[in-house]
Amino acid sequence: MSTLTAGPPMTSPAAAQVQPTFAGVMRGEWIKLLSLRSTWWALASTAAVITLVALAAAMSLSAMADDPALAPGIEQMHGAEIIAGGFHFGMLTIAVLGALLITGEYATGMIRSTFAAVPSRIPVLGAKALVLVVLTAAVTFVSVTLSYFVTMPQLSQYDLVPALDDPGTWRVFGGTLYSLIAAALFSLGIGTLLRSTAASVTVALTVLLLLPGTLSFIRLDWVETIVSYLPLPASSALLTTGAAETQGAYLSTQASLIVMAAYAVVPLAAAAVTLHRRDA
Amino acid sequence: MIEAHQLTKRYGDKTAVHTLSFTIAPGTVTGFLGPNGAGKSTTMRLIMGLDRPTSGTVTVNGKPYGQHRSPLREVGALLDAKAVHPGRSARSHLRTMAATHNIKTSRVSEVIEMTGLAGAATKRVGGFSLGMSQRLGIAAALLGDPRTLILDEPVNGLDPEGVQWVRQLVRDLAAEGRTVFLSSHLMSEMSQTADQLLVIGRGHIIAAGSVQQVIDSVASGAVRVRSPRAGELAAALATDGVTITSPEAGMLEVSGTTAEHVGEVAFRCGLPLYELSPRRASLEEAYMNLTQDAVEYRSEPTTARSTPAQKGQKGQNR
Repeated sequence: MSTLTAGPPMTSPAAAQVQPTFAGVMRGEWIKLLSLRSTWWALASTAAVITLVALAAAMSLSAMADDPALAPGIEQMHGAEIIAGGFHFGMLTIAVLGALLITGEYATGMIRSTFAAVPSRIPVLGAKALVLVVLTAAVTFVSVTLSYFVTMPQLSQYDLVPALDDPGTWRVFGGTLYSLIAAALFSLGIGTLLRSTAASVTVALTVLLLLPGTLSFIRLDWVETIVSYLPLPASSALLTTGAAETQGAYLSTQASLIVMAAYAVVPLAAAAVTLHRRDA
Repeated sequence: MIEAHQLTKRYGDKTAVHTLSFTIAPGTVTGFLGPNGAGKSTTMRLIMGLDRPTSGTVTVNGKPYGQHRSPLREVGALLDAKAVHPGRSARSHLRTMAATHNIKTSRVSEVIEMTGLAGAATKRVGGFSLGMSQRLGIAAALLGDPRTLILDEPVNGLDPEGVQWVRQLVRDLAAEGRTVFLSSHLMSEMSQTADQLLVIGRGHIIAAGSVQQVIDSVASGAVRVRSPRAGELAAALATDGVTITSPEAGMLEVSGTTAEHVGEVAFRCGLPLYELSPRRASLEEAYMNLTQDAVEYRSEPTTARSTPAQKGQKGQNR
């Protein structure tokens, strides 16, 4: 060991192609993410939480059916809404994962190795965003599939198993996916801007989950307007089959799509601008 | 080849490096010396494009680092051995970097072997000693088989065997025609490893050149003379540029002249000499002389209780 030197220089024909490509940066991010246990914990807990909440919602159907005041409501319900009922909790873990993707690098100093390898920096953020989208999509697919099957016994009793040829079903599942991806990208953008894990997770979770609840006690018109544009209320139109959509406070489907996209894109764009300017 | 021109970096109102201009030539090991806080790491971050200079420019192999098509083939850097995610294995860490440049996995295995990490490559980096982390950092720096290596305190935390290894490694890399730029605050280490020295203090270059030049420029070397008639000899030697001190009766320390000159003067005056010995300044002494005014964090003589004034000063230094 002590007598080893620099070793054989890389003289393979491929040496000429040794340079950063976006596919390479993507692969690097992919290895980074999958080589950490915390990623697997975040993904597994996302799937577990979404599934358990869906199961709990499905099991509470029997309690509803026993209550004469609530029983008629069951007919109004759509099975897909019950299956996607754990979506908020999934948002929590996905948001933490999205923030950690970048704040973890700042906290450990890994970011300097990353930017030394990719000095243009922006491809790193782009690759992280794409990897995060893929991972979020995968975990949403797994969660919804699991939820679909574990809730089936309960839902079938009330004829609520969502039909796979029902556009309403796909609207809810698609809305869940869209909102979770938006939340993940929002956190990534916030994380890149703030760099600190604690600050980023606090901000992301406050905006994503906490504010709508805390502000709902304030009955001022303008506050209610703001609340309707917060991610959770804004996404609600995407998480219903559309029947309950006309309830005033909520945004239209189109507006919801745009607002949620803005939550994903605006912080990321701001992050991309500052990423280049700031010292690593 | 690393070229800095009027390189300046300020953080807030604190100037970390001030108008540095230097050239680090290929085929040599250049030591970057300075006390803690002198600006060594800042300079290295500026070279790597991690921090943006407030003014001035720095290029590596002719271009700013970020403009190279294949950055890791141009420069390999070890800036902070602990700058690795502790939850990842050494191999995974290297693979993430290799993937960005489409460097083959076989090269990852190669640098793991080279740096003696084979036994620990699949263990999580969080459990590594500083020495092991340094080896991983060096492995990462070698990954792209770069023409230029920048190593920030690479021997810090290494065992003697590891120190020996790094010394041999950088000498071999330089012999292959690569540029090697390594920092240290350990003089003894530098005197055995480096060909060229760049000494900085408080963000300014205070000396540059070959190891011998730097030593000569600071301490021209004192001459120790013992004579029963030391007083007369001192009078005869006293001219411009000659400093004479007398540490004890019958002994003189003469600096600013040569042993030959002292001997001739003594002969001319008919003064007997019991001892005439030139004393070579060591790099250590040269360095202490160079940097005594440029030490950012000076250790005060330890007292039982630190006074509020001292505390305040320390806070200011941060």
